[in-house]
Amino acid sequence: MVEHNVQPGHKTKRIPIKTRNDIDLISVLYTISIFRSFIKWIVRLVSGTCELQRIVAKCKPGVRTVKLEECMYRSRHSLLRTLCEAEPDDLDASIKNVMALKGIVDDTNPRFFDTFKCCLEQIYGFDSLYCQVENLRMEAYDSKNKNHEEVLYKLWNLLQPDQPLESRISHQWGDIGFQGVDPKTDFRGMGMLGLQNLVYFAEKYTDLAKQVLLHSQHPQHGYPYAIVGINITNMVHEFMCNGLLRSHFYNRVEGRPSLDDFQEVFCYLCYEFDKFWIKSEPENVMAFGRIREEFKKTVKVMLQLVESAVLAIDQT
Amino acid sequence: MGLLDLLRKLKSDQNKELRILLLGLDNAGKTTILKSLASEEVTNITPTQGFNVKSVNSSGFKLNVWDIGGQRRIRPYWRNYFENSDVLIYVIDSTDRKRMEETGLELEELLADEKLSGVPLLVFANKQDLLQAAPASEIAEGLNLQTLRGRTWQIQACSALKGEGVQDGLEWVMKTVASKSKSKKKK
Repeated sequence: MVEHNVQPGHKTKRIPIKTRNDIDLISVLYTISIFRSFIKWIVRLVSGTCELQRIVAKCKPGVRTVKLEECMYRSRHSLLRTLCEAEPDDLDASIKNVMALKGIVDDTNPRFFDTFKCCLEQIYGFDSLYCQVENLRMEAYDSKNKNHEEVLYKLWNLLQPDQPLESRISHQWGDIGFQGVDPKTDFRGMGMLGLQNLVYFAEKYTDLAKQVLLHSQHPQHGYPYAIVGINITNMVHEFMCNGLLRSHFYNRVEGRPSLDDFQEVFCYLCYEFDKFWIKSEPENVMAFGRIREEFKKTVKVMLQLVESAVLAIDQT
Repeated sequence: MGLLDLLRKLKSDQNKELRILLLGLDNAGKTTILKSLASEEVTNITPTQGFNVKSVNSSGFKLNVWDIGGQRRIRPYWRNYFENSDVLIYVIDSTDRKRMEETGLELEELLADEKLSGVPLLVFANKQDLLQAAPASEIAEGLNLQTLRGRTWQIQACSALKGEGVQDGLEWVMKTVASKSKSKKKK
C-alpha cells in the first residue's frame, strides 16, 4: 500500500477573499500592481506607517489575518513572502527581522509583535490542519483494521443506543443511512475522515445528530443520513482545499486550529443542510445533487464575506 | 442537394449530442468512470445520491453522460432517465463476486425495458487493477451476453482509478454510434 503523506508546509490554494460586498475604484486599482505600489507609497508618506502596521492597528481579528496574508504574499521583500509560505524554525527572530526591515519599533508599537505573531500562527495552523485532514482522508477504511471497526461500531452505538447491531454484516446499517449491508465501501475517497466526522457529530451533539437522523428517515422526504454526511465531509474538504475556510478559522480560532475545529464545521454543515433540505421540500432523493449545489453556494457566499464568516452551531 | 443543405448538414453533424446512461450497482465505479471521462480528479469520490451529469467532448460529439446512483433505494428511479438514451453503459465491480447475480438481474431488467430496446450496450468490467478481479470473459459469460439479440454490445475490461480501458470503451461507443447513424441514413 502506498503511503501518501502530505508534508507540512504544503500550501492550499490561496484565492482572494472579499472583505466587503461593494467594489470601488480604489480597490480595483489596488489589484493592479503598479497602482498598489503608488498608493502604498503615498499613504506611507502621509501617515508614516507601513501597510503591516496599519493592518495590525486598524483591522479586526480575522480580517486582519486575511489582509496580512495577502499583503505578505504580494510583498516585494522575499523575507515577507517566505515568511507567509512556511513556518521558520525561530518565529520570534523572524518577526524581529521583519520589524527591523520595516522600521517598526517596539516602544511605539507595543502590540505589534504579539498581534503579528498570533496572525502568523493562524496562517501556519491552517496549513498544518490541511495536512492533518488530508492524511486522515487518505487513510482508507479497512475492515481488517481493528481500530477502524471500533470507530464504526461506536457510530452505531451513539446513534442507535437502544438497538443492538445483530451482526457486522446487516441490513440494519441502512437505518442510519449506509447504502448496503456493509458500510466499508461507502467511505470511498473520504476515508477515515468521513467516519470520524460522523462520530464527532454523534458524540458531541448527540441530541442534534439524532434529530437530524430522525428527519432523514422520513419515508418520502428523507435522505440516507450517513451517505449525506460523507458527502458533506467532501464539501468541507473542498472548502479547505480551495482556502475558503481560512476566513472562518481566522475569525473563530485564536492561534492554531485543531482537528476538532474542523469537525465543528462539519457538524454545523450537517445541521444546516438538514434544515435546508427540509425547507427545499424535495420530491425525492433524486433532487440531492441540485439541493447540495444550492446549499454549497449559500455557504460559499458566507465564507467569502470575511468579517462575518463563522460556521458554528449556535447552542443558545 | 443545395449548398445551404450541405452547410446545414455539416453544422448538424458537428453539434451532434449524445445521451449516455451510466448505470450499475453501488460501488461499481460509475462516478469514477464519469470523472475519468471528463479528465477530473478521481481520488475524492463519495457515494452518489441522486445523479451526476457531465458533458464531455469527443471527436466532434458532445456526450451528455448521466451517472445515476446505484444504491438499491435509488434504482426504482433509473427508469426516469431512460428516454432518448443513445448508449447504455453498465458498470460492474469485477471484484464483487457476491453480488454478480444481483447485478446480472438488474441488467436483465434494464435490457427488457421497452425504452431501452435496441440501445447499444457497453459493459465495463471495472477494477481490473485489483488482484481478485474476475476477467471480462468470465463476467460476459455470467451475464449471458452472448445470448443478447437485436442489440450491439461490447464488454471492456477497465480500471477507472488508473484510467485504463476507459478510453477504449469510449472509442467503441463512438464507432457504434457512427455506424448506427450511417445505417439509419441508408434506410
